[in-house]
Amino acid sequence: MIAQKFEYTAPRTLDEALHLLAAGAKPLAGGMSLIPMMKLRLAAPEHLVDLGKLKDLNYVHEADGALRIGATATHTDLESSPILRAKCPLLAETAAAIGDVQVRNMGTIGGSVAHADPAADYPAALQALEAKLVLKGSKSERIVTAADFFVDAFTTSLQPSEIICEVIVPMETAGTGTSYQKMPQPASGFAIVGVAARVRRSAGKIALVRIAVTGLSNRAYRAAAAEQTLEGKVGSAAETQNAAALVSQGVDANSDLHASAEFRRHLAVVHAARALTVALARTA
Amino acid sequence: MKVSGSYTLPLPPERAYQMMQDPEVLTRAIPGCQGLEKMGEGEYHLKMKMVLASLSGAFEGSVRITDQNPPSSFRLVVAGSGRIGFVEGDGLLKLSAADGGTEVSYEGDAQVGGTIAAVGQRLIDGTAKMMIKKFFEKLAEAAG
Repeated sequence: MIAQKFEYTAPRTLDEALHLLAAGAKPLAGGMSLIPMMKLRLAAPEHLVDLGKLKDLNYVHEADGALRIGATATHTDLESSPILRAKCPLLAETAAAIGDVQVRNMGTIGGSVAHADPAADYPAALQALEAKLVLKGSKSERIVTAADFFVDAFTTSLQPSEIICEVIVPMETAGTGTSYQKMPQPASGFAIVGVAARVRRSAGKIALVRIAVTGLSNRAYRAAAAEQTLEGKVGSAAETQNAAALVSQGVDANSDLHASAEFRRHLAVVHAARALTVALARTA
Repeated sequence: MKVSGSYTLPLPPERAYQMMQDPEVLTRAIPGCQGLEKMGEGEYHLKMKMVLASLSGAFEGSVRITDQNPPSSFRLVVAGSGRIGFVEGDGLLKLSAADGGTEVSYEGDAQVGGTIAAVGQRLIDGTAKMMIKKFFEKLAEAAG
């Protein structure tokens, strides 16, 4: 199908883009979610502001002891970034697991997190990394944690007049292992369930553990109970299984024609165990 | 699609029941509600606009409240349609006193059709849950 008629502007500067948003325009990033919605006429914005020409927002670099990622960096940019692969491999691995090559070449990290699809991959990794997002408005700039950013299905704390400019993730230190494991929906590549695990071992014991789950419910979340059981343990196979068994407890699981709520809960446990096992092996 | 769950409101059951029949309160509580007009006893005409990330659509339809048994239960029958699809639903809401408040439990069945059902199957369950949650949150807010 063909989208309804709309205005299109491709500003060169962030200020110009913010000005257009304040006037009611809708931001367009890689177009991997918005354009299909427009073609199906599920969305009909009157004015699109293409953020893709804001080249200043496409980067991955280190500053002040953290990695900073410009919002228009594509998934391909992230999966192939040498510094990200070396210092924050969880995010590079997650980017590589998104959709297919075409989607990864066009889709951006900013666009994906702004869309906040409950089955998207980034929300799990960003919560396991305790990432922060830099949001700019025409007269404001604020930093929110990933945990506060994702509110509900397709709902974030981003205001219509704001643009996501940067994602800040930590640089992993020695002894840290991470992994992202997902069950993709075969046609779309979206996560039926995806689990990001991040573990740091110190003197043989687990000193830090972060487990985040996406796809299971409306909002990706940290599995706090599972994390607590593993802290201070050695990370044996039995301990890992026990922790994984807790990730879907008390979660209001979604159900659709691809997977029932019960099956999704089961998948979360299986993928949590896989992610933890791989992450633990990578701490060596 | 089956819809079920529960929510606790910080109100006695009599008051909670009354609020859930009050068009003014409902207009504020129903997500995206742009008008709720009383057509007859327990019958309303509803206009709403749904905005969800890039998805947006206007819906118009009817809401009927039947099997009234104050303050413990009533049945809600909803039928609406818009450019992006249609929805028909039917649900039983039960109210019971719990910890100084009221536990509202709901159980129902909804059919969703049209474009949204054809291409957005995986969006429907999560969206329905989110809208129900928002409704009760707004209702609790209106009570406070």
